[in-house]
Amino acid sequence: MASITLDKITKTYPNDVTAVNGVSLDIRDGEFMIFLGPSGCGKSTTLRMIAGLEAISSGDLLIGGRRVNEVDPADRDIAIVFQNYALYPHMTVARNLAFGLRLRHVEASEIQSRITRVAALLGIEPLLSRKPSQLSGGQRQRVALGRALVREPQAFLLDEPLSNLDATLRASMRTELIKLHNSLGTTIVHVTHDQVEAMTMGERICIMRDGDIVQVGAPMEVYRNPADTFVASFLATPPMNLLPGRIESDGDGLAAVVETCRLPIPAAYREAYASHAGKPVIVGLRPEDFQAVAVGGGRTAPVALHTITTEVLGPEVILVANFASPGGPEVHIRMPRDFRAKTGETVTLHFDLPEIQVFDPGTTRVLARPFLP
Amino acid sequence: MNRIAKKIVPHVILTVFSLVILMPLIWIVRVSLTDKLTAYKIPPEIGTLGLMNYVDIFQRYPFVSWFANSFIVATASTLVALPLATAMAYSFARLNTGGALLRLGVLASQMLPPIILVLPLFGVFLLVGLTQSRVALIIAHLTIALPFLSWMLVSFFEGDMARLEEAARVDGASRWQAFLFVAVPVAAPGILAAGLLGFILSWNEFLFVLVLSGPDTQTLPVGLASLETHAGVEIAPLAAATVVSLLPVFALLPFLRKHLIQGLSLGALK
Repeated sequence: MASITLDKITKTYPNDVTAVNGVSLDIRDGEFMIFLGPSGCGKSTTLRMIAGLEAISSGDLLIGGRRVNEVDPADRDIAIVFQNYALYPHMTVARNLAFGLRLRHVEASEIQSRITRVAALLGIEPLLSRKPSQLSGGQRQRVALGRALVREPQAFLLDEPLSNLDATLRASMRTELIKLHNSLGTTIVHVTHDQVEAMTMGERICIMRDGDIVQVGAPMEVYRNPADTFVASFLATPPMNLLPGRIESDGDGLAAVVETCRLPIPAAYREAYASHAGKPVIVGLRPEDFQAVAVGGGRTAPVALHTITTEVLGPEVILVANFASPGGPEVHIRMPRDFRAKTGETVTLHFDLPEIQVFDPGTTRVLARPFLP
Repeated sequence: MNRIAKKIVPHVILTVFSLVILMPLIWIVRVSLTDKLTAYKIPPEIGTLGLMNYVDIFQRYPFVSWFANSFIVATASTLVALPLATAMAYSFARLNTGGALLRLGVLASQMLPPIILVLPLFGVFLLVGLTQSRVALIIAHLTIALPFLSWMLVSFFEGDMARLEEAARVDGASRWQAFLFVAVPVAAPGILAAGLLGFILSWNEFLFVLVLSGPDTQTLPVGLASLETHAGVEIAPLAAATVVSLLPVFALLPFLRKHLIQGLSLGALK
């Protein structure tokens, strides 16, 4: 087990394209870290640099406190699971698992016992004598994971390992990976573009865009306090509603005004937003923060919504509506499963004011306000 | 009716096309079993069939020597070309050795008419005293096989092979071990297919052997051509010799079918 430290890591390709731009990050020993971002954001390149499969253009990479920039991938003592599994097609499952150990001259009896243990852990004992071409996608996934596990490396690097699986299998592998991490306690870096994986699996999420780290934090922390509109619109489905509005004075307080709707700013945030009074802003409202019944003490504010359609998903209903007026911006709102509204119907819901986020339209950064736990 | 027609029509068409390809072969087999006079009869006449021409080629002509030369040259040039071509293809595909320029240069050498290469080669062999030797023929055939085989093999080391090799490298393999234990075994069907093609290329090669061989080192294609003498074409023995020279290729056919198709369709990674 080991910590992984990235210190101003940059990757520039010979054609002058910068894939990763001075990224710094401390991955703690034993941590489950998620790299999340859209394709082309540099998350896979960063992972490949940690693995040693991609040369680092500048900056320092430390694994377990040792600088490894020039260390061969074979000598970094890390294991990687690829999206397409990359099992050796000419070897049986058992030999696939044994390959890394044989190269390291581990004793045959030790190899055998480790294979037996890992095969039992992953439930792949019946597959040991088969070739990869005789396995299903889920089985290949397990073998690829097993090949990483038998090595007992200092850290696991997972490069979108679940994206080739169907939805059911993906959900169960997600749980299994979390269980594995709990029992092994090894550092895991997991690259994904799936925000569900990011939210459910990681101890911390590192969100990347265009080669930069946008935000690092625990899943709920990032979800409730997004650093900018990109993070706000990337995490959770449906994502945060981002509406053009203004901050205006409201008696002795402030209000966020979108169309004709005034949302009073909680007293605790006034100081943070005061500098933007009278200026245009982007108001962020999570779909989850609307409710049918008002809460007293000014905690909620009523919002008129003009129904476009409802999506009845079973556990919940997504209301798609124009905000505040029939021509207002389109918003998505998550309601309980018994909620119904007809197209064209005006519904009044109540927004939970402490959850409001306000972004600067120029920089798209959030206006820092007291953190929600 | 319709269903029967659907089954019959393709077979009829395919049979006709197959006959177009097979007729010359069938003709040669017939001629090889008749005497010279019957061989030229039109319409074809079967007459008395016999193996006299086959006996003839072994008794009157150095057929064994031609056959042995062909076999030695084809086997040796393939065995030398294959590891070199594999390494070349690997370095083109994975290390981008020499860039596009070197790759194209290698291909361009095969676009030249072979006759342009023959004379310089003859000059070089004359200088080092290798003319009329089998070694000269092997080297000459390498100039054909290496570019061809390496180009054929490049695609086997591209694409998913890079991931496999990366997996091996992280697993603890050096670059050389990843090449030897993962890349080569995975590309084996392709390498085998390339080897078979290399063998056939050399087996059938005529021009280089014609110019570079001596009386003792002639291979089959040149030997067969010598049956067309100024006293006329010895058509019946020529046909018999042709049939015998086809045998090794026929012997390779089962392997060819299996590995060439598998190799050329890159089935190993799917």
